[in-house]
Amino acid sequence: MSECQRVAESLAAYVDELLQPDERGRVDRHIAACPSCRRLADDERGGRRLLRHESSKLLAGPLPPGLRRRCEALTRVKDDSLAGLGRFGPWWRVRLVPVLLTAIAMIFTASAFLSLATRRSDAVLAAQLTADHSKCFRLFAPPNGASADAGGIERTLARQYGLNVHVPSSSVEDDIQLLGMRRCLYGDGLVPHLMYRVHGQEMSLFVLSGTERKPDDLVTLGHRSQIWSRNGTTFVLVSPAHGTGLTSAARYVMREAR
Amino acid sequence: MFRRRQPADADAFGAEVLRHLEPLFATALRLTRNRPDAEDLVQDTVVKALRFAHQFERGTNLRAWLSTILHNTWRNRLRDGGRDAATIDVDSARLEEIETADGSAATDTPEQLLLRNTLDADLRAALDELPDVFRQAVWLRDVEEFSYAEIARMVDVPIGTVMSRISRGRRMLLDHLRKARERDGAKMSMPSTA
Repeated sequence: MSECQRVAESLAAYVDELLQPDERGRVDRHIAACPSCRRLADDERGGRRLLRHESSKLLAGPLPPGLRRRCEALTRVKDDSLAGLGRFGPWWRVRLVPVLLTAIAMIFTASAFLSLATRRSDAVLAAQLTADHSKCFRLFAPPNGASADAGGIERTLARQYGLNVHVPSSSVEDDIQLLGMRRCLYGDGLVPHLMYRVHGQEMSLFVLSGTERKPDDLVTLGHRSQIWSRNGTTFVLVSPAHGTGLTSAARYVMREAR
Repeated sequence: MFRRRQPADADAFGAEVLRHLEPLFATALRLTRNRPDAEDLVQDTVVKALRFAHQFERGTNLRAWLSTILHNTWRNRLRDGGRDAATIDVDSARLEEIETADGSAATDTPEQLLLRNTLDADLRAALDELPDVFRQAVWLRDVEEFSYAEIARMVDVPIGTVMSRISRGRRMLLDHLRKARERDGAKMSMPSTA
């Protein structure tokens, strides 16, 4: 190994002034005699100085609206069981959420045995996605306010999942607001979960790529799951079974998701 | 070695975690380069930190521990998405070009760059231009000021690799800034050394 290569390996520690005196002296002597290594050291020192000079500004950016509130809510969930979630919602959620979370646990426990069944059974699929729908809205629902950008989500879907999907955007006419996207565990991987609000009610659209199912419409755990496929992708729309004013929004999503 | 978190400690631990949200989000933003993904990454990090709070060793650096969770989560996501955090974006030819440039076309000193009113924005843009592994290394070292050993644990590579990435990353960053200044038509003929 040449002396230049040896010095290159020590350059970070040299610039950070972490070398022992004898080693530092060796590098000092080399760069005094070697213009190219001196230039590397100078440039590295310059990049370091700029970053450290600006570090407080780089770290200080404001948090997105709602992120702190959501994280604070997470800290109030006791241990890693999610049973404490009920205390943040109305009475029916106090009862419903533990039931749903029990359903999640049962589904995941049985997933090894049910993976084949999940692929075949719409009921199992609907139950799992309904549980994810409830969990995500309890833990990660964005605050009321700005709508998410459908185009930005489409780009994320393309980048992270290789999916070329048209995401239904917020629509004033259909009184539906796109809140954002989460990733949810399903089968062996993660699936995109698009979150909507319709007349104050929660609606989810799950996108399962590379799979086709026959259309289905069923009620599980108090929620309606509408299943359809288009161009090799299966969509599952989950909404409250006894919600009001959801029909128009559901039709809009089913028409636009493609 | 690890002590299970007692219920009485839970609120205090959660509050401590929340104190680190801003730097966590800033780091997530530099990793993901888009706000929705960064937000998602921070939330997942908080969920995991709370779930595995009993594994946090009291008296050690909570910020480093959270940062390790954040980087692990991001690495897993890249892997799930078919990308490899250890190799992505590393364009050897481009690196070679940067390493062998004689600098005759871009000669601003760090001091000149520091005088720019727009340095903050330029620096963010230059950071975002760096290949992932170099951006990660210089960010953790020079912005968050973690030790080489802490960074090695976070990104799961040997310390020698961390040091090499820091060196290259710093030089590439300066190079990007100089080129950005040149593109702005504000190039000055000054010595390149600090």
